[in-house]
Amino acid sequence: MRNESKEDIKPSTASERVFAVKVDDLTVAYNYKPVLWDIDLEIPEGVLMAIVGPNGAGKSTLIKSILGILKPIAGSVTIYGKPYEKQRRLVAYVPQKGSVDWDFPTTALDVVMMGTYGSLGWIKRPGQKEKKASLEALEKVGMLPFKNRQISQLSGGQQQRIFLARALVQNASIYFMDEPFQGVDATTEIAIINILKELRRAGKTVIVVHHDLQTVPEYFDWVTFLNVKKIATGPVKDIFNDDNLTKTYGINYQVSIQE
Amino acid sequence: MNSAQLEIQIIASLVAIACAIPGTFLVLRKMAMISDAISHAILPGIVIGFFITQDLNSPVLILLAALTGIITVVLVEYIQKTGLVKEDTAIGLVFPALFSIGVIMIAKNANDVHLDVDAVLLGELAFAPFDRLLIGGTDVGPKSLWVVGSILLITITLLILFFKELKVSTFDKGLTASLGFSPAVIHYGLMSVSSVTTVGAFDAVGAILVVALMIAPAASAYLLTTDLKKMLILAISFGVFSAIFGYWVAHCLDASIAGSITTILGVVFLLVYLFAPSKGIIAVMYREKQQRTEVSLLTFLLHLKNHDEVEERHVNHLYEHINWQKVRAKSVLDLAQKNNMIHMDNQVVSLTKKGDEFTSKAINYIITNEDAQIEDMKDDFFLFRG
Amino acid sequence: MDISKYIELVFTDYTLRTITLGTAILGAITGMLGSFAVLRKQSLLGDAISHAALPGIAIAFLITGAKDTNTLLIGALVSGLIGTFWIKNIVTKTHLKSDTALGLILSVFFGFGMLLLTFIQKQPNANQAGLDKYLFGQAATLVESDVWMMAIVTGICLMVMLTFWKEFKILLFDADYTKTLGFNTKTIDILITVFIVLAIVLGLQTVGVVLMSAMLLAPAAAARQWTNSLAKMVFLAAVFGAFSGVFGTAISASQNNLSTGPVIVLVASVFVGFSFIFSPSRGLLFKQIRVIKNRRDLELHKTLAFMYHIAETHENTSHPHKIKLLNNFHGYTKSTLQKLVDKNYVKINGSMWSLTETGFETAANLYTKQETEDE
Repeated sequence: MRNESKEDIKPSTASERVFAVKVDDLTVAYNYKPVLWDIDLEIPEGVLMAIVGPNGAGKSTLIKSILGILKPIAGSVTIYGKPYEKQRRLVAYVPQKGSVDWDFPTTALDVVMMGTYGSLGWIKRPGQKEKKASLEALEKVGMLPFKNRQISQLSGGQQQRIFLARALVQNASIYFMDEPFQGVDATTEIAIINILKELRRAGKTVIVVHHDLQTVPEYFDWVTFLNVKKIATGPVKDIFNDDNLTKTYGINYQVSIQE
Repeated sequence: MNSAQLEIQIIASLVAIACAIPGTFLVLRKMAMISDAISHAILPGIVIGFFITQDLNSPVLILLAALTGIITVVLVEYIQKTGLVKEDTAIGLVFPALFSIGVIMIAKNANDVHLDVDAVLLGELAFAPFDRLLIGGTDVGPKSLWVVGSILLITITLLILFFKELKVSTFDKGLTASLGFSPAVIHYGLMSVSSVTTVGAFDAVGAILVVALMIAPAASAYLLTTDLKKMLILAISFGVFSAIFGYWVAHCLDASIAGSITTILGVVFLLVYLFAPSKGIIAVMYREKQQRTEVSLLTFLLHLKNHDEVEERHVNHLYEHINWQKVRAKSVLDLAQKNNMIHMDNQVVSLTKKGDEFTSKAINYIITNEDAQIEDMKDDFFLFRG
Repeated sequence: MDISKYIELVFTDYTLRTITLGTAILGAITGMLGSFAVLRKQSLLGDAISHAALPGIAIAFLITGAKDTNTLLIGALVSGLIGTFWIKNIVTKTHLKSDTALGLILSVFFGFGMLLLTFIQKQPNANQAGLDKYLFGQAATLVESDVWMMAIVTGICLMVMLTFWKEFKILLFDADYTKTLGFNTKTIDILITVFIVLAIVLGLQTVGVVLMSAMLLAPAAAARQWTNSLAKMVFLAAVFGAFSGVFGTAISASQNNLSTGPVIVLVASVFVGFSFIFSPSRGLLFKQIRVIKNRRDLELHKTLAFMYHIAETHENTSHPHKIKLLNNFHGYTKSTLQKLVDKNYVKINGSMWSLTETGFETAANLYTKQETEDE
């Protein structure tokens, strides 16, 4: 509501432009333990962004608080200029693979169909339209032949692809992914990054919690360094340097990874 | 107080001590529900043992029943390993099945077995003094006193001998293996002691109440201390206190002694749970409230430090962007002012020198993961708390 | 009374029909809701809730003096919910872990309940109370109104479950994701918990507080082994539950002084054991058979791969080589060679062997497959 007054001013100048995701003064703490402090973050539309930082830097927490899974103690999040709650449909989420029980009695297709539940709302069941969309998403991630497999019978990489397909089926504008390359094989990693790049070409915004610093320049065009505070954010070619890496990972960060 | 009453109280106290010792370790090792499983699953062992020995206090019966307890643990672990069901489901499947077998065996042989289902659940502490141990014709006391006493003696001996190993393996499983003693030996050792104790105590307090005697004192103690030795002593004290006090409550109400002891255990836990100085629910809630204010204050100060722009520091912006309700924002603002951390100039807030210093230090501690230091710092800086 | 006579009686005798219907409905609802409990990893919560219900029954009797089942069960429901709430509170507010909280509430509430029961037994009107049946359950005490009660609750439960099926399913699988889709997960969560508590309370009269939790777990655990679909699992669990109820009641009714609870639980446990061993896809028996078969296949493949490497060196892949060469290879035996011949992968001519064309292709495929799997 507070943001509505802002909305009346049309975005005219570059500084007033509407960001895909805008985070203001976000602070999250678990009891004593501060996890994120006063994060300001503006993510322009159409970037493929990595969030990097050491373990415990609050990368997953940042995504989860943006998505309202965790409750921040201060701060606000807007999606295309409106509060997140009103813009849920524009956002898709790929959680960490380890966050669910893969022995759950369900099939790959079923999991992907869950991506349609949000637009269906309460009570309404998915129909032919939803099934078709889910099959297309499965096809896109190369998992169509496995559609009736029980999910525990899939490899780690295949499970990750299923999760990606579930997000694709939401047909969102902004994709949040929590470590999608964790424990997947090389083929899947390439397949996933190709899909992400394709999403970017289609004008979507993709935000990825990422671990492997080596691949940042190759995969992403935008990067945010995070360690409790935001260290830096911007285009990879401008800010992905030893200086920021040292600031993020500590004084003794020696490895120079830029070619 | 007559001698029978005294004997009952002594037996109850010994049972309480014998249960509290393994119970403490079970609670610390997150295996409390295993005691529930063992206490149920030994029933068929006891019944079979009774067919063989015809004596509930026979050592053979105790060993046989304890073996059933260990079999239960092995069976649960085997089912967990197959991955067919989740871990806790395995426990929940095994013990009801074994307990049912026991109950049915009792019911089918009701005429031969002087066990009844009530005794299985509640024990017969009130009758314990009537079953005397006679050595060479002399009465040396109730049999169950001797049984429980011997079990307790063994437990204490093992505890003293293997205290270091138990401690290390409870707090750091990886380290145990690297120190050269097998975590499995300690694990099954503890399971064996728990089984034997359960069987020994079974006669006195029954299946389910053994669980209470194992878990409740340890859980209460754990809310008061994290030091292993202190925890053991506290758990034992709670157990003995409940045993004696519970006996007298039962005496007044003319109700089950075991039920009454458990109820007192529950009351003790409730009191500790509410009033424990740092981990009790009241202390926790008070602290949470205070933390909320303090964290809010820190957030607020940090925001001021991060932003030089006037519009980011305007009072109205604080309501807007930090996304706080007016009341909360106001209280934080007041607190910061009271502590001389900020000064206001025409609705624009800025940090004072003290506020700036405090904030820099706080950031530093947070980033270097030394949150504990913030506590000391608060004492240095804070004049008023929320 | 023997079983055949019993079956005859079920259709003719009013009381027996009521009891059988009651236990069937009870088994169905606990099996159904138990599936949710198992999948939520709350298997032991049911045990705690059912034990925690005991003091509620006793207090309800002390206050109202009524022996009407519904009044007593409301007492059970209240104290079961208090127990559940307290467990959740202990886990979230203190550093005690869930197993400690469960064991503690379970035993303390039960002990308190027993104290009250023994106290009640000393009261003048105790004999009519018949509260003992709540320990191990006595299906024989079921009357028509109890069965109606069960049927109504089951009906409501079934309706709610069908209505919110999609929401239940997604919450069970991935709660965080459900939140991001805009569903109020707390509402769904409370709905499921309340139904589980309800099912437990309903079963107390028939199965008893001590063993009620097994009625939740066993049918669900058995059903899980036979299917990979949630809908089928819930349905199968209901069927297993109903059969356990009916068989258990029949057996205990045809014997003297046998409580129903233990017998029903034992029947359900037999279902579990059977499913664990004989389920075609997950069962231990077939798993073992598959392991042995895989090991054999692996040996065969290894030998074939080894032959492939030798054959590769030669321009003509079907060029014969000496059998002696194979003796250097670890996994080689005469029988594996014979099997390869049977499969038409290899030809033997005297002391020489050669790969057939199909054999060469299979081996080549194996090789590339292995390479991609290794990645």
